[in-house]
Amino acid sequence: MSYYLTTILVYAGVDIIACLALNLQFGLSGIVNFSFIIFQAAGAYAAAVLSMPPSSQIGGEQIYVLGLQMPFPLPWIGAAIVGGLLALPVGLVVLRQLRSDYQAIAMLVLSVIATTVITNVRPFLNGAAGLSSIPAPLSDNLNPYSNEYAYLYVGITAVCLLLVLFIAHRIVNSPYGRTLRAMREHELAATALGKNPVSLKMTIFVVGGVIAGLSGGILVGFIGTWAPSVWLYPETIILFAAVIVGGRGNNFGAIVGALLVPVGFEEVTRFIPSKFGSVDLPVGFVPALEWVVIGLLIIGFLWFRPRGVLPEPKRTFQGGPAEETHWVQSGRGA
Amino acid sequence: MDLFVAAFGFGLVSMSVIAIAAVGFTMQFGITNMINLAYAEVMIMSAYAAYAFNHMGVSIWISMIGGALFGALFSFLLNRVLYAPFLHKGTSHIGMVIVSLAAALMIANILLPIVGYFSVSYTQSPGPTIRFGAFVLTTSQLLIIGLAVLLMLMIHSLLTFTRLGKAMRATAANPTLARNCGIPTRRVVDLVWLITGALCGIAGTVAAMNSESFAVASGATYLITIIAAAVLGGAGQPYGAMIGAIIIGEMTELSAAAISPQFKEVVAFAILVLVMIFRPQGLLARRGAMAAAG
Amino acid sequence: MHSAARTPLRRLLLVPSIALVLLLAACGNGSSNSGSNTGTGPLLVGVIAPFTGADAGLGPAYYAACLPAALTINNNGGVLGHKVNCQQFDTRGEPADAVPAARQMVASNSNLMAVVGCTSDEASSVAPIIDASHIPMFCMTGQSEFNKTPLKYFHRLVPPDEFDAYAMVGNALYQNHWNKIALVFGNDIGSQAFVQPAKTAIEKLGGTVTISQAIALGQPSYRTEVAQMLATHPQVILTEALGQPPSDATYLAEVKSQNGGKVIPFIGTSATVDPQWFAAVKGAIGVDDLVNNYQAVDIGTTFGGPGYQEFLTQLNASASQFADAPKYKQRGSTLHLYDGIVMTALAMTEANSIDPKVYNAKIKDVGNGVSGATVVHTYKEGVDAIKNGKSVRFVGAGGETNFNQYNNSQQGYILVKVDAQGNEITVATLSQEQTAKIIAAGGG
Repeated sequence: MSYYLTTILVYAGVDIIACLALNLQFGLSGIVNFSFIIFQAAGAYAAAVLSMPPSSQIGGEQIYVLGLQMPFPLPWIGAAIVGGLLALPVGLVVLRQLRSDYQAIAMLVLSVIATTVITNVRPFLNGAAGLSSIPAPLSDNLNPYSNEYAYLYVGITAVCLLLVLFIAHRIVNSPYGRTLRAMREHELAATALGKNPVSLKMTIFVVGGVIAGLSGGILVGFIGTWAPSVWLYPETIILFAAVIVGGRGNNFGAIVGALLVPVGFEEVTRFIPSKFGSVDLPVGFVPALEWVVIGLLIIGFLWFRPRGVLPEPKRTFQGGPAEETHWVQSGRGA
Repeated sequence: MDLFVAAFGFGLVSMSVIAIAAVGFTMQFGITNMINLAYAEVMIMSAYAAYAFNHMGVSIWISMIGGALFGALFSFLLNRVLYAPFLHKGTSHIGMVIVSLAAALMIANILLPIVGYFSVSYTQSPGPTIRFGAFVLTTSQLLIIGLAVLLMLMIHSLLTFTRLGKAMRATAANPTLARNCGIPTRRVVDLVWLITGALCGIAGTVAAMNSESFAVASGATYLITIIAAAVLGGAGQPYGAMIGAIIIGEMTELSAAAISPQFKEVVAFAILVLVMIFRPQGLLARRGAMAAAG
Repeated sequence: MHSAARTPLRRLLLVPSIALVLLLAACGNGSSNSGSNTGTGPLLVGVIAPFTGADAGLGPAYYAACLPAALTINNNGGVLGHKVNCQQFDTRGEPADAVPAARQMVASNSNLMAVVGCTSDEASSVAPIIDASHIPMFCMTGQSEFNKTPLKYFHRLVPPDEFDAYAMVGNALYQNHWNKIALVFGNDIGSQAFVQPAKTAIEKLGGTVTISQAIALGQPSYRTEVAQMLATHPQVILTEALGQPPSDATYLAEVKSQNGGKVIPFIGTSATVDPQWFAAVKGAIGVDDLVNNYQAVDIGTTFGGPGYQEFLTQLNASASQFADAPKYKQRGSTLHLYDGIVMTALAMTEANSIDPKVYNAKIKDVGNGVSGATVVHTYKEGVDAIKNGKSVRFVGAGGETNFNQYNNSQQGYILVKVDAQGNEITVATLSQEQTAKIIAAGGG
């Protein structure tokens, strides 16, 4: 049982980290990054090829680049870096003065292009089959199937989570965060005040990419396999649902959303029984029902809490407007 | 060289299928500001509705009307029961996208146990094959192209010449002002969903005819292409969607001829991304028949 | 920042609801090991496979294997007095969803006796989990990484993918004397595995590959690809392009349409011997063209004999629980997974234990037979023989099993056609020398 529980905890951690990244990009800065999942995927692939041995050494059934067999935590650092690196060209292409709808569509399409390219350029990352037998971190010293290892992994994930939460918290509550919010609410006004929206967005886009890449590294170390089927474009939309259901712009909202949607809804539905009394439900009925329930839950939460479970706190200034100075009243400087 | 000419001909068929769907999608977006991610699932449902008739022995062309009616009715209800209440509550734009995603998930997975996971095909005869030069097209395919052209003309007439069309354009441009001018925006929106729903139904049936075999899972592949075509031409612009469909339909087939067929969708999407870079608002951005909703 | 007063309350409400989720997850008995069952409670066979998503058709085919197995076992006293049940666990077709599915399966059910399914979509991530939980599994994956697997609980009754490719080449070259061959395979995991072995074998054996196309699955049309293929004038197409709908259906319909109404002969892999594939392609090109032009390869099964008869009887009886079940009467995977479950039950009977750590090793013995073993064809025969102190070899619906040291079993291939109802008809068998020659040419 602890096996399943630790799985849920690690998945929760990964999803929370991913949602925090998405919240920074979308919730805080208003970038509708519908290609988000490719950053997590890039991180996962990076961590994989950094930690796996060269492809010829393991029988040659999988074909992939690199294979540097680096010890933990280097693959995870690599994952984060690659996530950030990927954000650079993507950001340069889409973060210009695109209206958010078009931005979103362009990024969605980029996600599909990425899936197709990785699937068909087989020697790069082993195509549709993906990578498997990816060594778990520290598996040289520990048995990755023991209970202790599972708890250790939960611990490491939790450490990463706290680190990311700290960074996200600092960003949200910093002057930089205020600028991003201003830009999100009224880009024109922010530009008039001398802020450069493109460079602001680029920065947060890269930061989000770094964090997303890290989440990919953590996940791939745990499940040991990674293939295009894991990061199809609907995954991004599920994460968006999480951020919105939880409360966009609010880090804790992102956490709640991550626990509710990808973890809660998707996992709770596995427990729907396949017998109704003594009647067997038709084959495939319950799995399809799971998705219907997920859809209902999303709609339900959005209906009753449209701004999210934990909406963004309204920030007000204490006190009234600034007092007028005397010398204006005295008529100086007409 | 022959291959390219043949591919061009095939592209005409692809683009017809995409155009019917993309125009409906983009009109939904243009007038109601909804990115309706459930669109492709409604297409599939309508295709199955047409199949129900076709299976009883009705010709596919008549069954298509059944598909259109189903699409119209279902889209109308989808808006009334789900989208409109959420919009009325003031749900944010992105929130509506998520709602439509949830709707898509539910539709697909309610449909799956009903129709099963076995793929189905229409009973249709392709008709004699026509060859002129290197073009190779069956009568059925030519009819599909013709149908697409006819529908585009009808939409054009609707938007340009009828009062309803003008009301739709007004609602798209500025709903509040339109209402203040006495336009019954609620009824206009209902009609938009009925009309675009009918387009969606026809598009679903045609797409299913075109691929000769379909199942519930076909929906996901249609959606991206439709969105890409709509946005390429300028979201909310029906003529833009037509142009977007032409470009994507043709580029897909031509690139299958020119490079490895595995990448054929990539080329079409790459074009979209390029257009996004150089002309972010899409190809037809000037305020044409319908303004891009604000 | 105000409104902080209300937030803690909301968070307070949140905590129990999230805790509820985790609590539900934690529900169930303490130990996760499915060993040491006591009492007469039922045992569970887990069917872990995609039931939703692009490969949603696979799960039901495997579920259709479990139901008749459970019936034949339960009708004959169960396993050591325990009844056997079947349950589906949806992997949703990809490893990241498969891992929690597998772990939830293992965690919530301490009475798992065996697991069947685990397709190429998820086997790499799921098999180690099941193995670590010490539960025997029968996986339906041809991935070559399992050819020499270190997992002790892993069993495979289907050959590696490249053997399908070799059999198809044999069918084209030796059986039909077709030298100009087109390869049209989907770009997914399973299908691409055939291309290189087939290509190498064909070229070494003097044939020509006129074109090798990797087609993107799920596309609405393949007209240009078909035109390209037709321009190379192949005599036969070797193909596998699956999905929902199988892309083969769309592709072949367009071949018919562009080739003046005539379909080029085509040879499918063993995965195409499937009622869904048959229904889709039949709908697309019509039953006559399908029957006249389609051949396939399949793992050597006779669809006859007492073992198969028992399977068929119980499969038809399963229709009350799963209406489509009888349609799978000739699907290789369904037969083999049925055999796997019955073998496991007999191994448990022979070992007189419901602890998988005890009986897992016996499965190989029941499959291959130890010296002096009695050959049995049904569960009942097996139980009776064991009661009389004999050891058994189970030769069931799918024929003989020959587990090698990695618990992979292979038999020869048969070359088949189908009739109008989709039933498989054996046309020929590749001889041993032919098979060896192709394997050598393919580098396998």
